[in-house]
Amino acid sequence: MPVTRLLYPLYQLGNPQLRIFRPSWFLTLVRPGKEQPQDTVQFRIPMEMTKYDIKNYLEKIYNVPVGVVRTRIQFGSNKKRNHLNQKVKQPDYKVAYVQLALGQTFTFPDIFPEKERAPAEGSMEEMQEKFMEDEKQRQKLDPRRGGVTEWFGL
Amino acid sequence: MAARTRLPLLFPRNLFPFRSQKLVHTDVSVKEPAYPPIVPSLTAKSKSARRRQIEERVKKICTSSVEDKLSLITRIQREKFVVYPQTFARNADRWYQHFTKTAYIPGLPEKFTPGLEKTTAAVPGIDDDAFADIRSLVTRVILQEHWQFRKRKPFMYRHQEQVVGPFLRSLVSGLTYSLAKYNPLLQLSSLDLSPQVNFYWRRGQRIIPKGHRKRHLEPTRFQIDDRPHSQIRVTQQLPQFMPLEASHAAEVPEITLRPNVMPLFRRQYDNNIFTGAKLPDPACYGHTQFHLVPDRYHRDRMIRQQQADQVEVFLRANALASLFAWTGAQAMYQGFWNYEDVTRPFVSQAVITDGHFFSFFCYQLNTVALSVETDANNPRKNLLWGTESLRLYESVQDGEVVGLNDGVVKLLVQFFMNQP
Repeated sequence: MPVTRLLYPLYQLGNPQLRIFRPSWFLTLVRPGKEQPQDTVQFRIPMEMTKYDIKNYLEKIYNVPVGVVRTRIQFGSNKKRNHLNQKVKQPDYKVAYVQLALGQTFTFPDIFPEKERAPAEGSMEEMQEKFMEDEKQRQKLDPRRGGVTEWFGL
Repeated sequence: MAARTRLPLLFPRNLFPFRSQKLVHTDVSVKEPAYPPIVPSLTAKSKSARRRQIEERVKKICTSSVEDKLSLITRIQREKFVVYPQTFARNADRWYQHFTKTAYIPGLPEKFTPGLEKTTAAVPGIDDDAFADIRSLVTRVILQEHWQFRKRKPFMYRHQEQVVGPFLRSLVSGLTYSLAKYNPLLQLSSLDLSPQVNFYWRRGQRIIPKGHRKRHLEPTRFQIDDRPHSQIRVTQQLPQFMPLEASHAAEVPEITLRPNVMPLFRRQYDNNIFTGAKLPDPACYGHTQFHLVPDRYHRDRMIRQQQADQVEVFLRANALASLFAWTGAQAMYQGFWNYEDVTRPFVSQAVITDGHFFSFFCYQLNTVALSVETDANNPRKNLLWGTESLRLYESVQDGEVVGLNDGVVKLLVQFFMNQP
């Protein structure tokens, strides 16, 4: 069943259970756009996956205790037009909201934290920054004038 | 030349009576001009006009009769969240506690002793013989449903409706009639089978993100439409479990997320407020409700799938929503609403069962003022007491009920015997 296209095995009671080894489905963990409860994790998943597929995937492969899964399909817009006035379609994708069981919580981490960039001593960047700062200081007006422009004779 | 006037020779004291200012009387009541009170306009397109419109509407509702109050409050239809008491959403009881401002207290109030270890004679008003009668009644009902009736196997997912439903109905009616001689309240009560209970309220607000009403504040509206299996309505109010002021200290979980994340869905339809009977009915107060668990609720399956905590959460959410709707509707029937808060607490009880496991809940409604304006300075909270699921009997074998739990029977009897 795994990597080839899934054809038509109609399941009847008593057939062997469908087992997929090495699935060709990949989940993407995303940061939720709208605020979600603490135990909810948001994924982008391939269109062919179902709620039960996600539950089994996470439980069997990653040992994540899954409570409930809800899915929806996000329509990708077909409104934008290119320079030839043809409509350009953004691809559709499926989103899954997974609520974790056993009281576990998850918050999406901060992937791009702000860094204090202090330039190294004696380098080009430090001299350039000092030069820019001096320029800006010279452009500022005399503080004793209280924000009034130069051409106004006090 | 001096003008020649005919003045007298002698000048009397008041020759010119009206000349001096001192003679004008100064203590006459100065009539202030009476202007009408300066109030904002009613029809202008301004915030003060809107505020005045709301105040006029509130005054109009306060001065009308109860039927008019209900119809005025539920007149305007807008999108609202439909709260289903029996929901499989995770942590539904925390969400429902936030929507209804209810604090959960595990265990029952002191009135109902645990009863699992104590002897049978602890129920006030019932002696041992009567309790033995009740016990035999319960065994008879269990045997009738599960042993004597030759039933075909119930359809898939219809077990509760076809087996446990009739069992509960006969149990409830049997207990009501046999305990009516000990509890005079039950003699004037009304036992409804599968009644409708509806309630509509507003709580919290949100800023509309999109549309022609963008950036306006909109209150979130909720509606509960419930169909308990059966309920008992009485003519007198049950006594309170805890005084109103004691509820100020209780804790209600605060959830800042929007309800649709729960998941909860919005619809627009008639706003109904109904206790189970119409307004003129004399039995307007609630006593006990009985709920059946839905067929898709499988305890063992949930425990196997690592959702053991959700088992109790489901029952608690069900009791919370149903009892809040019932007591809220009772309060509305007495004329209390959002801007006129209840002066006395409204109390009701519920039993939720799936045939084997019984859970008992008591609810005290202390406040109906849940919308943003009235909730700002409202320290009162509603209270829910509840037990875990207790087994009534182990099994039925060879025409005998094995392992009948006396504690559960005692609790049932105590619930029925609750009276002012």
